Amino acid sequence: MKKIGSMILAGILIVGMMSGCGGTGTEQSAPETVDGDAKEIGADAAELKGIYSGELERGVTIRVLENDTAISEGYFQELIDAFNEKYAEYGIVAVDANMDQYSNLADDGPYGYGPDVLYQANDVLMKYVEGKHIYPIPAQSMSCYDMIPQAAWDAYRADVDGTEYIMGVPVNIQSSMLFYRKDMLPDNWETEWDKNGNQIPDMAESWNDMYRYSKEIVDRGEGKFGYMRSLYDVYFSSGFLFSYGGYVFGDNNTDATDIGFAAGDAAVGANVILQQAELMNEDCIDDSVTVSAYSKLADGTYFATMTTPDVTSLFLRELTNVYEKEGLSAEEAEKKAEENLVVTQVPKLPASGDLTEENPELIPLKTMGGVNGYAISAYTKAPNACLAFVEFATDYEMVMKRHEYLGIVPARSDAAQAAGGISEIIYRNLDQGDIVIMPSIREIEQVWTPAQTFFQDLAKDAFRTTDKKYTSIDLIKEGLESVDQQIYDAIHTLAGGQ
Amino acid sequence: MKRKTARMIDTALTHLILIAVCFIFLFPCLWLILASFSKSGSIYSFKGFFPQEYSLDTFRNLFTDTEMYNYPQWFRNTLFIAVMSCLLGSFLVILTAYTMSRFQFSGRKMIMKTTLVLGMFPSFMGMIAVYIIMTQFGLINKMWGLILIYSANAPMGYLTQKGFFDTIPISIDEAARIDGATNLQVFYKINLPLSLPIIVYTALTSFVFPWSDFILPKLLLKEKDLYTVAVGLMNLGETEFSRFAAGSVFIAVPIVILYFCLMKFFVNGMTFGAVKG
Repeated sequence: MKKIGSMILAGILIVGMMSGCGGTGTEQSAPETVDGDAKEIGADAAELKGIYSGELERGVTIRVLENDTAISEGYFQELIDAFNEKYAEYGIVAVDANMDQYSNLADDGPYGYGPDVLYQANDVLMKYVEGKHIYPIPAQSMSCYDMIPQAAWDAYRADVDGTEYIMGVPVNIQSSMLFYRKDMLPDNWETEWDKNGNQIPDMAESWNDMYRYSKEIVDRGEGKFGYMRSLYDVYFSSGFLFSYGGYVFGDNNTDATDIGFAAGDAAVGANVILQQAELMNEDCIDDSVTVSAYSKLADGTYFATMTTPDVTSLFLRELTNVYEKEGLSAEEAEKKAEENLVVTQVPKLPASGDLTEENPELIPLKTMGGVNGYAISAYTKAPNACLAFVEFATDYEMVMKRHEYLGIVPARSDAAQAAGGISEIIYRNLDQGDIVIMPSIREIEQVWTPAQTFFQDLAKDAFRTTDKKYTSIDLIKEGLESVDQQIYDAIHTLAGGQ
Repeated sequence: MKRKTARMIDTALTHLILIAVCFIFLFPCLWLILASFSKSGSIYSFKGFFPQEYSLDTFRNLFTDTEMYNYPQWFRNTLFIAVMSCLLGSFLVILTAYTMSRFQFSGRKMIMKTTLVLGMFPSFMGMIAVYIIMTQFGLINKMWGLILIYSANAPMGYLTQKGFFDTIPISIDEAARIDGATNLQVFYKINLPLSLPIIVYTALTSFVFPWSDFILPKLLLKEKDLYTVAVGLMNLGETEFSRFAAGSVFIAVPIVILYFCLMKFFVNGMTFGAVKG
């Protein structure tokens, strides 16, 4: 009896284990409630009227998921107050979704706990497309359509069942900028470090000069550094590959069968990163620099770093604290911090990839960028009211307010022009193609880990004494080809072809 | 003389080892406490291991700067969940353990074995099922949903309590029954007063688990206003380290108070009836 029992149990165990083998059969389908909506999404674009009838739902509450900075800086309250006032006659009320800014609509939406409107980055929003968790947007009928460049709209373009849709409305362009301390420039920078006499220090214009100045600082032996950055970070490091011909996916970042981290002379770009690492410390291997950059730039340990402009206020706050400690009043400290923290476009790269070359031919550094925007949940009961909210939040006035409160770079051309400064630079870079927008296809999820491991290994190589791995461009290229293969395998083999 | 020297060396060595072990265990706590008093919010401004400047600002901000991180609200939520789970859970565990210890009924052994086996599986194994069940009952974003789960799970760990009830002689129950006591009277007039230490132990453990749990509140409480301290602290921004440290230090306060309040019952219960011959 015991034997039979054991046999049955063993059989169940084997069947259980074998059930994990074989293909996935069909893709995970969206819950039943989604399927109903899915038919509408999959239908012809003209049928978007099936979603947006044009008649505002009355007496509804829209839950809006905004980012934490917009809430803490008071912008979001102003936005919903203005919207609620305008739509009071319809009884439409927009409220804070009161959720974690990184909460996942795919988890919460089907059960009715997700937000109605979401503000997130394009790669985050677009991963909801395949599960049909967000509604397409009738972009062309929106007042902001002509004001936003196609490159930004492209970040939200998706092909669903053979029809092309726009799934979100761009608000903010994110890209890398150079942050440096003006008061840490050499005293003679105007005579010795400004070859073209344009009143912009050479280290902010060319990576070769940045390298030279970093070396000068490190050689002083005071434990200080010039340019510092967490080099493992794909978002910031991949731009060096793009500048020399690399790319993420082929066919304008839509073809996941063509992975191009090793394409062109991308290895030359990777070698630039390796040269930079040699003038950093081991903090550049992981996220230590990213997290400590605010305080280390403020206390003078770092001269410069590269990051996105939305964290400018954090740098300013730390620098102000340092000046206050030095005895300045709060007002003086704040003013001095604003004067000394320079946020500008990233320097240019040498065409040869050699950072020690004198008077090199320079090429622009292409940076990876993102487009944050609004999307509408497919689980909302009030799509028309949600669309009205998105329309309201993306009009010129609100985008300008967003810029004033949060220092964002507007995706609207009129707002970018009015904002001037960094906004204009980034907008121009996007227009010129110097900003490579993060791919919006779901396969991007499989890119980060292999690429991050490579960059980490590359940065580590600078600190290896005997067994260096990347001693030539060919070896770096091999490493990048291996990254491409790993990404390909992750997408097409391990993840079941996605 | 030789023996005396050997004993002294032995004592010194033992103390040295104990001091080293104490240091290993105490150092992280000490570091966290010092970090909570750091003037700068960032861990990277520390001079070596310890903060450069100290102030009470972080603790002040923890309770006053609540626009983004409402620690007092998280604290209230955690306290409510832990207290209610403690009351309900302790009640259910004691009843289960007492029943298993004192009553003989068919299937008793089977139930005991089943609970023993079920107890071996990690609780997070059933998280997806729990989530789906809670959505069906409309208990997502409800603190009572958490309390029900904690309380319902508590009787699974009844074995310690049963072991304690087993040590109380059954002849006391029989004597009470001869005097006309009902089952309920035997329980609350005879066994309960004798079981104070295990009740205190049960209450403490039933309180501490919900107090520090992260996975379940993260899964079931989506709204920021409903966050518990563990979930709230996990969501702090990257430049808020000293706030995290202060929040982590302060969370120990209720447990310490509870421990000191219940300590005397713990000791009283242990000695209760010890002199009776």
